[in-house]
Amino acid sequence: MLKDISIGRYYRADSILHNLDPRCKAILFILYLIAIFLLRSPVAIGLLVVLTVILQILGKIPPKVMWNSAKPIIPIIILIVVLNVLTLKTGNVIFSWWKITITDGGISSALIMAVRLLMMILVTSIILTLTTTPLKLSEALEKLFGPLKVIKFPVHEMAMMMSIALRFIPTLIDETDKIMKAQVSRGADYDTGTIISRLKGYVTVLVPLFVSSFRRADELATAMDARCYNGGEGRTKLHPLKLTGKDVMLFIILSMGAFLLVAVENIDRITKLF
Amino acid sequence: MENTALAKNVRFAYSDSDKFAIDGASLAIGEGEYVALLGANGSGKSTMAKLLDVLEMPNEGDVTVFGIDTKDDDRFWDIRKNTGCVFQNPDNQIVGTTVEEDVAFGPENIGIPNPELSERVENALKYVGLFDKKERQTAKLSGGQKQKLAIAGVLAMQPKFLLLDEATAMLDPVSRDEFLSLVEKLVRENKISVLTITHDMTEASRTDKVYIMEKGKITLEGAPQDVLNNVPEMLDAGLDSPIYSKLLWEIKNATGLDYSLEDAKTIRSALRFLGAHFTDAKIKAPSAKPKFDETLISVKNLSYSYDDKGPKALKNIDLDIKKGELLALVGRSGCGKTTLITHMNGIIRPQGEGKVEFHYGDTVLTTSKKKEIKQIRQKVGLVFQYPEYQLFEETVYRDIAYGPKKMGMKGDELDKAVRDAAKQVGLDDEVLEKSPFELSGGQQRRVALAGVIAMKPEVLVLDEPAAGLDPRGRREMFKTIAGLKKNGTTIVLVTHYMDEAYEHADRICTMKDGMIMGVSDPIKMFEDKDALREMEIRAPYLRRFLEIIAVRLGLDPVSKKNLLRAQSVKEAALLLGGVDA
Repeated sequence: MLKDISIGRYYRADSILHNLDPRCKAILFILYLIAIFLLRSPVAIGLLVVLTVILQILGKIPPKVMWNSAKPIIPIIILIVVLNVLTLKTGNVIFSWWKITITDGGISSALIMAVRLLMMILVTSIILTLTTTPLKLSEALEKLFGPLKVIKFPVHEMAMMMSIALRFIPTLIDETDKIMKAQVSRGADYDTGTIISRLKGYVTVLVPLFVSSFRRADELATAMDARCYNGGEGRTKLHPLKLTGKDVMLFIILSMGAFLLVAVENIDRITKLF
Repeated sequence: MENTALAKNVRFAYSDSDKFAIDGASLAIGEGEYVALLGANGSGKSTMAKLLDVLEMPNEGDVTVFGIDTKDDDRFWDIRKNTGCVFQNPDNQIVGTTVEEDVAFGPENIGIPNPELSERVENALKYVGLFDKKERQTAKLSGGQKQKLAIAGVLAMQPKFLLLDEATAMLDPVSRDEFLSLVEKLVRENKISVLTITHDMTEASRTDKVYIMEKGKITLEGAPQDVLNNVPEMLDAGLDSPIYSKLLWEIKNATGLDYSLEDAKTIRSALRFLGAHFTDAKIKAPSAKPKFDETLISVKNLSYSYDDKGPKALKNIDLDIKKGELLALVGRSGCGKTTLITHMNGIIRPQGEGKVEFHYGDTVLTTSKKKEIKQIRQKVGLVFQYPEYQLFEETVYRDIAYGPKKMGMKGDELDKAVRDAAKQVGLDDEVLEKSPFELSGGQQRRVALAGVIAMKPEVLVLDEPAAGLDPRGRREMFKTIAGLKKNGTTIVLVTHYMDEAYEHADRICTMKDGMIMGVSDPIKMFEDKDALREMEIRAPYLRRFLEIIAVRLGLDPVSKKNLLRAQSVKEAALLLGGVDA
């Protein structure tokens, strides 16, 4: 069950998206995030779906992998749809009973909201997590936030912490799985009972997990010391980030997508301008 | 010969303790020398490694590496740059997300520029044989591969001195052997000096020089054959000796026949000694072993795969576990042992037609029925590998009580169950009120074991119960297991070691690639050489040694057969000495 979590799970492939400079991807990620937040109209959302599919093809990501990264948020999306349908009361009433009123406006805006949210998750996972290794990503952030070093902000340390955290996610998931199996053997039950008793039950997993994480942290620190780690000063890189003309080109083309989305959204206003 | 590292009368105490972890120890590692520092858990040997890599400073005495005093603040960096370490836990020393990123971590830290950096990474990965996996996620490697990766990370730093701090403790025998061959290649080809800190005797026997450490002091030093074959000293230090010297020692214990250290030095000298005293000996049959007939658990036609596409973890397994026996499951990592045992208490439920049945009197419970699983879990206790990592309660008492409480035990019954279980694993009463996290690793493991024993299972399934323990810890663990068996608990023991299975099991079941290769009583299993070859099973060292002895002594067929029925060194000694057990 725990193995389904896809956060930070890199999908290995050789595509132009995989090879794009991670700094470009980080900026693209932000551009798309802003653009998607601004979208309202069905036409723009439709375009977003098309763009998502294009990005998916560019990233050579199979539909199954896409589905896996969308799966965990499906329940949240359903919840949002239901809440929206029940609370938004615009347009024509199509169903009304007791205090519940459902309108066509409510349904359509709920659906738009759902698609938008789903696409947001998919686009961001295609641009970022699925096509970029966590280490590349933290390198990109280290570079992008580099100027903050001037005001003594620990940019390198933050990036290092992030990459180590990401490196240990699969290890800790495996460990959680093992601990749960061991406690189940001792009669623990994580599937039945009231929510409170279930939460209490998780103490049997969390305590050992914390204890072992501290031990791991301690040993890892020693190992890093022994491997001459001494902060970011004077470090070299095996694969230093290099921005090529190809990266810039692809970045410009892909960022056009985000601008296009915003343009389509505001098509009325733009036409009025001329 | 120049010394790579030298420790002189070193004393050291950790800041949170007033006891000296190192209490006046001296050692020297020559250039290009391969040295082992042996000691039981808590003897101070890992602390010594930290002193040599300038991770700690001695309170008294001097440590010099490459002729540089470790207290010299200006130059300690020169030591660390040229010293590589591999630690015990494969997971906790990997920094990189992918294989090549991890290898690059060290050289990146000391500022090696490209293209030299990528050359170093490439060469290091090729050296350890991981080059084709350079883009793999490190978390997905096996334990053996992870330790090879750690070596590659060290090699990329081009060190002159390699420190192995129990680097093989968590590996199975095959991966351990591969790892050691790699280290030996480094010593031979690259002239790197190596200090390996270990409690594994086979590892120590492959070095040039060994030091034995006990309570922070060096008690013995010398060539491996001189030191390791000194049986009483080794046992005192919580360690072990090779089979041949142990046999002479056991014979001395049983019959009083004295031998010199010279006799015990090599297999050859031991055989010469035996030949001089036991030629044409008549060996009586050992006492008959008990038989176990009543079936307790039956596994029927069990197949299992973790995902649809991957290979099957189990293929058509049929296995009966008899009441009262100790059944050993032997096989390499990844052969399906753990998958099979997690079926036995319904943590994994059978797929397809497979079945796991539990016979309790006239009733038959199966894990296919969800309702019956809880009852089965009560009767089948499962102790996973490194069970000390599952402790969570504030006191040892409460942790042991967790399982039985969940099973519905209360009041005096619960109290008695907890105390009995603690006693069975050898925990003192005073430990019960301590926090489990204050205890040593070995004691924590006992607590975890007690937590399952307290549930009073009919069957106890133990996955590598002695993994990572020093020889003394292993002996104590098996004593505990023998005690449980004596009290009527049926035991399924998962192990990597054929010798361990051979010594303790009533029946051995060998597995490979998800299949059972053979199930038989230990003696019969190794009689048919051709069948063994076909099953790709190697006979235990003890048995192979006894076969050589039988030839050397010119035993008659009956005596030979009787001798080969010995399942432990002690038993063999009693048979040879003609002493009744």
